[in-house]
Amino acid sequence: MSDLILDRISKSYGKTQVLSEASIEVKAGETVVVCGPSGAGKTVLLRLVAGVVEPDTGDIRIAGRSVLNVGPERRDVGMAFQNFALYPHLTAFENIASPLRARGLEAGEIKKRVDEISKLLRIEHVLGHTPRELSNGQKQRTSLARSLVRGPGVLLLDDPLRNVDAKLRYEMRLELPRLLRNFGSAVLYVTQDYKEAMALADRIAVLRAGRIEQLAPASAIYDAPESIEVARLFGDPTINLYPIRPEAEGGAAVVRLFGQTWRLPRGREAAIDRDCMLGLRPEDVRIGGDGHPGGVAFELEAVTPLNVRGVLYLRGPAGEELLATVPERDIGQFGRGHRRIWIDLPAEKLHLFDRQSGARIAPAAA
Amino acid sequence: MSMRKTNPIARALRALALLLVGLFFLFPIFWVLLMSFQTNQDILRIPPSLFFSPTLENFYAIISGKLVTSAGTLEVPFMGNLLNSVILSTASVAVSLLFGVPAAYAFARFRFRLGEDIAFTLLSFRFAPPLLVVLPLALYFQDLGLNNSYLGLVWVYQLISLPLILWIVRGYFEDMSPDIEHAFRIDGHSWFATFMKVSIPLARPGIAAAALLAFIFCWNNFIFALILASADKQPVTVGALAFVTASGIQYGQIAASIVLSIIPTLALALYAQRYLVEGLSLGAVKG
Amino acid sequence: MATLSLDKLTKVYRPRGREPVLAVDHVSLEVGDGEIVGLLGSSGCGKTSTLRMIAGFEEATEGKIRSNGREIQDLPPSQRDVAMAFEGYALYPPLRLRDNIGFALLRERRPRSEIDQRVAEVAGLLEIEDILDRYPSSISAGQQQRTSLARALIRRAPLSLLDEPMSQLEPQLRAILRARIKDYLIQNRMTTIFVTHDQTEAIALADRIAVMEKGVLEQYAPPVDLKERPANLFVASFIGEPPMNIVDAIALEEGGRRWLQILDGAGNPAFRVALAGQASALPAHGGLEPGVKYALGIRPHRLRIGATSAGTEGLTARVFSRQWLGDQTHLGLEVAGCSFVAVADGLVPVQVGEQIAVALPLAALHLFDRASGTALRHGLDAETRAA
Repeated sequence: MSDLILDRISKSYGKTQVLSEASIEVKAGETVVVCGPSGAGKTVLLRLVAGVVEPDTGDIRIAGRSVLNVGPERRDVGMAFQNFALYPHLTAFENIASPLRARGLEAGEIKKRVDEISKLLRIEHVLGHTPRELSNGQKQRTSLARSLVRGPGVLLLDDPLRNVDAKLRYEMRLELPRLLRNFGSAVLYVTQDYKEAMALADRIAVLRAGRIEQLAPASAIYDAPESIEVARLFGDPTINLYPIRPEAEGGAAVVRLFGQTWRLPRGREAAIDRDCMLGLRPEDVRIGGDGHPGGVAFELEAVTPLNVRGVLYLRGPAGEELLATVPERDIGQFGRGHRRIWIDLPAEKLHLFDRQSGARIAPAAA
Repeated sequence: MSMRKTNPIARALRALALLLVGLFFLFPIFWVLLMSFQTNQDILRIPPSLFFSPTLENFYAIISGKLVTSAGTLEVPFMGNLLNSVILSTASVAVSLLFGVPAAYAFARFRFRLGEDIAFTLLSFRFAPPLLVVLPLALYFQDLGLNNSYLGLVWVYQLISLPLILWIVRGYFEDMSPDIEHAFRIDGHSWFATFMKVSIPLARPGIAAAALLAFIFCWNNFIFALILASADKQPVTVGALAFVTASGIQYGQIAASIVLSIIPTLALALYAQRYLVEGLSLGAVKG
Repeated sequence: MATLSLDKLTKVYRPRGREPVLAVDHVSLEVGDGEIVGLLGSSGCGKTSTLRMIAGFEEATEGKIRSNGREIQDLPPSQRDVAMAFEGYALYPPLRLRDNIGFALLRERRPRSEIDQRVAEVAGLLEIEDILDRYPSSISAGQQQRTSLARALIRRAPLSLLDEPMSQLEPQLRAILRARIKDYLIQNRMTTIFVTHDQTEAIALADRIAVMEKGVLEQYAPPVDLKERPANLFVASFIGEPPMNIVDAIALEEGGRRWLQILDGAGNPAFRVALAGQASALPAHGGLEPGVKYALGIRPHRLRIGATSAGTEGLTARVFSRQWLGDQTHLGLEVAGCSFVAVADGLVPVQVGEQIAVALPLAALHLFDRASGTALRHGLDAETRAA
């Protein structure tokens, strides 16, 4: 199985710089998910690896050798598209068999492999249908089967779950890791959905405005996001952000927010007297009862349940918006109208970013 | 979107409007059809009457090639003209497809310098009034020896059919998601195999519609054939002029020749009208 | 500001040359003053047809629609006093966004200053205040959708109808926009009916949700009831992400006790749940009948990881999938051949392939009749209640 290396890839279309010195390495058997807001960057990345587009600068190496200017048909790559891209005039069987036919395999071997993979993806009963007769879920599995059937060294998955309904999307999210592990390809997967990224990836590459902002396992991305944008992309509801300017007070760094002074944990002295953004994840907000000591009074304006949690929409003393989440069982107590509740900010869960550059201000090593 | 119970008066008015519009457009054809079964006297009678005893002598004259008039018997080359029309239209469309479809594909899929300008130039030939170019062309053709030749006429007819094919087929390719072609290449096929096995089959409705329209336009062309061809290569559009004879205009035969000229293209269009509409709406093949 | 009542509302489409389609099948429901109601279902379930009948863009084949007690099903849309946000946005291309949004107020001849202020308010709510002077063709689909929504909300109409109002929204904006919109609707006492296929969106916004499938109203209840007391298997497996785990079961009697035998995917016995209280009584007294096919449901976050509870002692599960999503962890568990999805808060430190103890608390189990799909019992503990 192959390794895949993207080495400082740049690509522009007209005046738009779509990719800027992007570098990613994927080992055989590893799944790297490229996650980012909608925009051409992620899909272009896959097409560059597939070979249907050539980069302006930079190199792409598969199994150690450069594939620049090598046609897609000679790159040992399999690709599943967002809109399936099945051949409408061929049956599902022929769609899946296409890569094997291109290789010149003989009919018996082709049938064996197509049957094998369609059984794995549970579409063996619709092999005789044309794409028009398949449901979206079946089309998506056919598209996946076609990309996998040749056991390619590099597997490219372009947001394959995007056009599939929510239930099926969840099922596939559960099933895909198992499936991909069987094949051992180097997998490059693209999605806008951070949950999909966290669920499927060994490592996540956060792509924004053509640059890779962070390339790390999910835990690093979520707990120590390298920039404001990375923090905003991961988490539902989105992380709360406030402009602040830490000051020195009594030998520690403090922050004035919501009409209160909060101590920052040790090691944040680098942030003093800098324009910063404070990040607080909704699940880290502590909700207290009435008159919670040390907390701030907020006005609860709306409660919107979110799967197994509830989102509280809160307004601070100066009109600041704050979203907090609570477990589902706690929603009932809040009712429908406005009411006052107390919240507290756990200092160790605060994220600090430089307001100008957006970069994370990491706690200094102790 | 249906509003309350549809007003029956509105419905009646709508039907009436459709009827009037239909009559307006179809009337000339209907009249010509009538004329083709009438003798010259019946045609010229004032007031015109819907009742007459039909005659087949117009058709007979055209098909047999002999027209009996007061000035004697004339040779009528109509059947030859019909054959010329078929040859010219078919050959022109075939040549246009051969060059036009790959060109349309190139314009749709590839971005190259001056691409848009070249495309527009080719399309603009459609707008050029034939009358403007036909006289210089005639002189050139003399020099080249292409006067009165099928080759010369088919070449000139490209001015009519090639832009049309380019325009429609390019739009059709543009509407086709390139992902299907990409998938085929990633599977391991060369770009030529992709073009032949995926792009063209999927664009078939658009190509068929374009070919049909091009055929009709070539068939209907008058000016090029009039100036650049002599008697034995003339299509039906020009051939009808032969009925303006020394002994008077033979309306009946003109009408009959019109009827016979319409039939091939009408039949083709009716047979393929589904493709025409689909192709003209520049297709929507979803990947 | 308005109540709405649907009385056996029905829509039959008769496309030429094909079978008639029963799109909406005698749907009846009541919407209270100021209530927010969601019509939820997959595509083709009849929710959009229902909304369009309420708006007046489709003619009802049968049934009545009443607003504040007054029958409106024969009135044209302009006379029904409703505001609508369309799925296709339907913005006026030659007008700037601010004029699109304020259009209705302009027709009502409101003073310019009031229009500007209200446009700014609604635009701020939906985060489109800095593009108000642009034209519909120059903005993204998400922005167009928000503009269309703003145009409907600004009117504070007695009845607002929203067709898939947030399907194109950027994921980062969804939570906060839902919260702001819900607050706006509640504060202005706007009776609102919205259509969506996204059950997360429905649960976030609605006071009550009408779950529809194939034209039939399956259940009309507040979100918490749809989750905790689903009326049938369809609702149970539609609501929730992840949805309720459902397995096949039959009741049997052994050793003087009643048990629920859970069957795995192939129909073989997998494990057992000991029944207590009424559930173990005779069928005539509300108990379970041996040999009848049942379906057992448990919501993903009610499965207890690494614990035991009465009735399902000694169950071990093999973890076949582990997805940490930041604030919660989803686990795929295989218990004796049956697959379950469990959700826990925060990070759960287990590895794929590990064996862990798992418990299915009796109080968290829901019982359905397999054949009809109807719910029979929510909770199989001693204080069990019939569905």
